[in-house]
Amino acid sequence: MVAEALACLVLVPVVAACLALVLPGRWRWLAVAAGLLPLPLAMAWLTGELGREGLITVAVAGFEAPLGIVWRLDGLSAVLVWLNIIIALLVGLHAAAHYPADKLNGFRFWPLWLLLSGAMNALLLSADLFNLFVTLELVTLAAIGLLVVDRKPQAMRAAVRYLLLALLGSLFYLLGVALVYGQTGTLDLYQAAGVLQPDLLGHTALVLMTVGLLVKAAIFPLHGWLPAAHGNAPGPVSAVLSAMVVKVAVYLVWRLWLWLAGDWAIPAGLTMLGLLGALAIVYGSLQALVQQRVKMIVAYSTVAQLGYLMLLFPLLGLVAFQATSYHLLSHGLAKAAMFLAAANLLTRLGTDQLGDLRGADRRMPLDVFTLALAGVSILGLPPSGGFIAKWLMLQTALAQGGWLWVGVILVGGLLAAAYLFRVLAVLCARPVACPELPVSGKADQLTSLVALGLALAALAAGFVPAPVLKLLATAWPLGGAP
Amino acid sequence: MVIDVFLALGLVVLAWQALIGGSLFRGIVMFIVFGMVLTLAWAWLGSPDLAMAEAAIGAGVTGALIMIAYWRLRRINAVEPRDPSPARSRLALVIAVLATGLVGAIGLAAVSALTGDATAARVMNETLPDTGLGNPITGVLIVFRNLDTLLEVAVVLAAYIAARAALGRESADLPLPPAPDTPLLTPLVVTLAPLTMVVAIYLLKAGSQYPGGAFQASALLAALGVLLVLTGRVGPAAAANWLTRAGLVIGTLVFCLVGLGMLVIGAPLLAIPGIWAVYLIEAAMMISIGLTLVLLFAGAPGLSGKRS
Amino acid sequence: MNHPEIWMLAAAGLFGLGLYSLIIARHLLRQLIAIKIMGSAVFLVLVVTAGLVDGSLDGIAQALVLTGIVIAVAAIAFALALVVSLAETTGSISLNPDDDDGR
Repeated sequence: MVAEALACLVLVPVVAACLALVLPGRWRWLAVAAGLLPLPLAMAWLTGELGREGLITVAVAGFEAPLGIVWRLDGLSAVLVWLNIIIALLVGLHAAAHYPADKLNGFRFWPLWLLLSGAMNALLLSADLFNLFVTLELVTLAAIGLLVVDRKPQAMRAAVRYLLLALLGSLFYLLGVALVYGQTGTLDLYQAAGVLQPDLLGHTALVLMTVGLLVKAAIFPLHGWLPAAHGNAPGPVSAVLSAMVVKVAVYLVWRLWLWLAGDWAIPAGLTMLGLLGALAIVYGSLQALVQQRVKMIVAYSTVAQLGYLMLLFPLLGLVAFQATSYHLLSHGLAKAAMFLAAANLLTRLGTDQLGDLRGADRRMPLDVFTLALAGVSILGLPPSGGFIAKWLMLQTALAQGGWLWVGVILVGGLLAAAYLFRVLAVLCARPVACPELPVSGKADQLTSLVALGLALAALAAGFVPAPVLKLLATAWPLGGAP
Repeated sequence: MVIDVFLALGLVVLAWQALIGGSLFRGIVMFIVFGMVLTLAWAWLGSPDLAMAEAAIGAGVTGALIMIAYWRLRRINAVEPRDPSPARSRLALVIAVLATGLVGAIGLAAVSALTGDATAARVMNETLPDTGLGNPITGVLIVFRNLDTLLEVAVVLAAYIAARAALGRESADLPLPPAPDTPLLTPLVVTLAPLTMVVAIYLLKAGSQYPGGAFQASALLAALGVLLVLTGRVGPAAAANWLTRAGLVIGTLVFCLVGLGMLVIGAPLLAIPGIWAVYLIEAAMMISIGLTLVLLFAGAPGLSGKRS
Repeated sequence: MNHPEIWMLAAAGLFGLGLYSLIIARHLLRQLIAIKIMGSAVFLVLVVTAGLVDGSLDGIAQALVLTGIVIAVAAIAFALALVVSLAETTGSISLNPDDDDGR
């Protein structure tokens, strides 16, 4: 049954994408539903199984590594697969309002959406370095395809730049993989971990793969492509790009440094990655502070929040791992909510220029409320998932006496407060100067409610962290607390 | 040794010609020549499969795609015919020199550390006879690491949908060069078309034992398609009919369904039940990839009998 | 494959040339060609560093490169469609960042 459930996570969306291309008219809705709805069921079952087993592995096609490809589901990948499924379903519900599957733009949108979620599941399951390359390419192409479905010139320019850099990143990653394979004779990450030596070649391979992935993850100073892409994509696409697509690349960097090279002891490298994260937090937040468009503010906020994920490296330890993973989860939910709410403002008021949105809370109270709620989690105020994550991060940093990291976390929080309150202050300002609202229909209510639901989920993550943290702890590779 | 140096140097010189200086058009031509020399290099290194793939896909189809894009950009008049002069940058030079040094150093270190016992490949050579296949590459692609191949076919599908999304409309109005009108064309096409198909199917069939396989065959079909489009024997259609759509997805779909079907009968996911399944999957992939590449070249959602 | 060193030097040259051109070229088609040539360099490294097994090239490495070649053509085809479409809608293929972040 395990293999069936894992196969469902990857192949069902892919088959559904094919069907959504060949079926006529309204039947395509059926394909979309059939591709997404079984995922939470399969994952729920797998999570129960994971709780009993602690780790699930399946040799695809029946060939164990090094010959074949192995799927491996542990606590960390399980949490990310859940996030992916939630995003694919809820953000998908939002997208359903704008991209009817029986119309032309939906005809392009949904197959890509399905391929993207299947590809991200495949990436999260795969333990094979080359298979990860293939899944990364699928994620990239599907994501950039989604970015241009509306054919906005800004989005297309951003897409070209994103594509060029993503392809370059893939090449660096693949060059590293080539070295690992040449040295170890295996592509399985966990087999190679036992064989790859921390010598010149091993280190070079690790650095090459890391650089390639950092480009795709848009970690400072390789973030240049992100704001334009995330800020100009269609709303639901911005949400999935920020919540998942960049995260899976960071997830792979974690896998490389903690699993592949977990016992190499390279403190300089870990500190370096942490410093990049710190710079990302400060630079991204400062940029968010001066942007004039709501979606660009949210996009630069992503640049900043991605930085926290890199703090795992200097803080290295079980609690830091739980904290950063939890940050990944709650930021994914909150950021998706923010992008959807911002997209609702943009779609219905025709602008997301901050200057034109004075008093938008009068026109669209629900979406402004959602922005505020999601902001609570981004800021790390209690009670929210973001609070749990940042509180745990602060605790470990304090316990280790890492004052630099303590400072960065606090400054990042203050700057986030500044850029979010700046937005809310304008949105709630008087006199009202924002355009009149056209009559809203049912679809508009649905899109607002979906955004609100995601923001509430980010808050709810603050109330029940224990099971998730426990699940994450089972995946930690490097032994007890520091 | 002499041939190694000759081919390796040739590659670098051609890359130089393709990338630096000169007009863009000349660069594209040089890039295609580069692909041909790379084909020779693969053959010389001992990989006929890669040589065929490089010739058909790397140089052939990629070259055709870049050429038609260049022609369209010129026609749209979006681009001045001359390459905008490149930025002068010392930094770029430093980065490039560093990258060359790095790749050279680690490449030399890696080959000097070669032990000649690549574990995975050794296991593969031992396991291959059990599958009834003679070509190890087909074994890896369709049997041992077929998840890669499945996702790769999905990548081709995703690239196609993404390209359609970028181009936007349902109708086919990307320009194509006018079809040449000479009396020799018809006999040429009439001879080449069936011949190419026979060779493609032969490559597919031979691929189980000898060099060849679905990818090389699909690239041949794509090359034929490009020829037919360029000569006006096949034209872009305003919309995809159901046959075209089915052709686009059949590779991914058949692969997935065979893989899932194995689960139903209690075998591992994506296990390949026999040589017939290899042929089935390869034939489906050949159709999908070949068709996708032709449609991407034509810049149209579908194909029709004759260009209007 | 008797002289792997020669091929590694060639791969290094191709990678460096590609990267240089990618940074300085202003035309998107030229940049795509640069990426394609860098990809060929990576493929060479992959096959050559995998070495010989039982007297012939590592079959797995060859298969990986074959997969890589097909993925590369798919990615390039999408990139070209994107560039042509950008030219059609905006009349230019400039990626001027001032145009798109609202500043």
